[in-house]
Amino acid sequence: MSDRLNHEPVFRLDEALARVDDDRETFRMMIELFMEHGPKDLADVQSALDAGNAANVARSSHRLKGALLQFCAPAALQACKELEESAKAGNLAQGGQLYAMLEQEFQRLLAALRHARDKGMAA
Amino acid sequence: MSPLAAGEGARTVLVVDDEPTARTALAARLKRLGYRVIEAGDGKAGLESLRRERPDLTILDWMMPEMDGPSFCEQVRQDPELLSSQILMMTSHDQPQQIAEGLARGADDFLSKAASKYEITARVQAGMRTATLIRRLEDVTEEIRRKQEVLERELQSAARYVESLLPPPGIPFRGVQMVHAYRPSLGLGGDLFNIVPWSEDVLTLYLLDASGHGVSSALRSASFSTFLRRDNLLHHVGSSDPGAILMEANRQFPLTEDGNYFTIVFAKLDVRARTLSYATAGHNGALLHRRSGEVRWLARPNFPLGFDPSTIYPTEELPVGPGDRLYVLSDGLYEVPTSNGELWGQDRLEQTVRAFGHRSLSEVVSGTIEEAVRWQGHDHFPDDVALMGVELAEKVFS
Repeated sequence: MSDRLNHEPVFRLDEALARVDDDRETFRMMIELFMEHGPKDLADVQSALDAGNAANVARSSHRLKGALLQFCAPAALQACKELEESAKAGNLAQGGQLYAMLEQEFQRLLAALRHARDKGMAA
Repeated sequence: MSPLAAGEGARTVLVVDDEPTARTALAARLKRLGYRVIEAGDGKAGLESLRRERPDLTILDWMMPEMDGPSFCEQVRQDPELLSSQILMMTSHDQPQQIAEGLARGADDFLSKAASKYEITARVQAGMRTATLIRRLEDVTEEIRRKQEVLERELQSAARYVESLLPPPGIPFRGVQMVHAYRPSLGLGGDLFNIVPWSEDVLTLYLLDASGHGVSSALRSASFSTFLRRDNLLHHVGSSDPGAILMEANRQFPLTEDGNYFTIVFAKLDVRARTLSYATAGHNGALLHRRSGEVRWLARPNFPLGFDPSTIYPTEELPVGPGDRLYVLSDGLYEVPTSNGELWGQDRLEQTVRAFGHRSLSEVVSGTIEEAVRWQGHDHFPDDVALMGVELAEKVFS
């Protein structure tokens, strides 16, 4: 799974920009919001996981998924979906592993978004 | 300026989503489409915005802390001020049973979070079309309600006028007690009724029903009531004989070109001779309830007025005694339907009058109308309703 994900781009800038009609100002604002709120959402997922609270894991990862969808980030989105689905099913046995995958993809995405922002989002 | 933002002002979309990145992306898209956008970060703030701003469309996230999307919808649908709001529920739940749950709890449509910008645009525009139609419907409904209020005030004024022509309830004529009730229909019917003292001993009373509804029926009734004035009847008929009066009326009021006619019950009570004479033309609206308990309808099948100039309207005469009660009433009283169309009917009316027999005359009149209202399940009669009760006193002459 990780091999497949690692061969995909961290996020598809063209597609993400197209979702907002190439409105770069809005996209920049979305990146800022994600950089501010995303880490909090991820921390919420981890806290819920540490507490063994599957419902809260599902809720926090669902919220994070809403943001990931906006950036067309397939690997981070897939990791987030898998964690949400298993938490919804009440199964946290693989939670730690799934979270580690999510965190890794999340950090890659943050770095890629920061980079895109700093480069003026030249696709 | 976008065309949508021109003229009457941009239409408004409320976006309720706790996740700021997705909310910002959607809000930006909607603004580009020309809408005014209000954002709320949770269900509670969303409800406040909905109450304050009355947006045309609300786009709502399903999963939110504290109040989720379906709970938001339920609150909206239970609030009379908000229940017609258009709600587009945004979700990544696209399984049919979850869509069904959302619809059952009050969402109007769904939008997948992964939807393309084209789909978002199409769904928002569809929601706006519905919102516009609902707003128009609400405006028209409000206009009808206002007009109905005006009409009801006018009808109440017309009812007061009809009642002002009557002798006051009580003892308008020595030896006779009289009570009446009048409930005009919303359609302005043509019922008129009156009690006219004829001489020291003789009282006449009638109930007249012009076919159709509306102003022309009411005017034709008014014209007929002029014919039924005592001085006019003396001049044209020369007596208070009910049959003779109806035969003259039959000549003077032929069918109109558009087929309208009158039905009438005309009665004459001689309190000294203790006789009741009457004639009817196409009307079943007189009921005699004797103190002995006997109840009989005073009617015979015949033509309404104006159908055939050669019709004979015979006068029937009956002896009456103290405590006997005569009710003259509109057919609108017993032709009230329930919601499934079943009419109250003459038999139930008769049973009601019989059951109320031990009560005072005014209690019978008001109680009978209440029974008809209970039968139809609401307060507005589909046709005019008049009910007049006359009771012969114990001692006719002091």
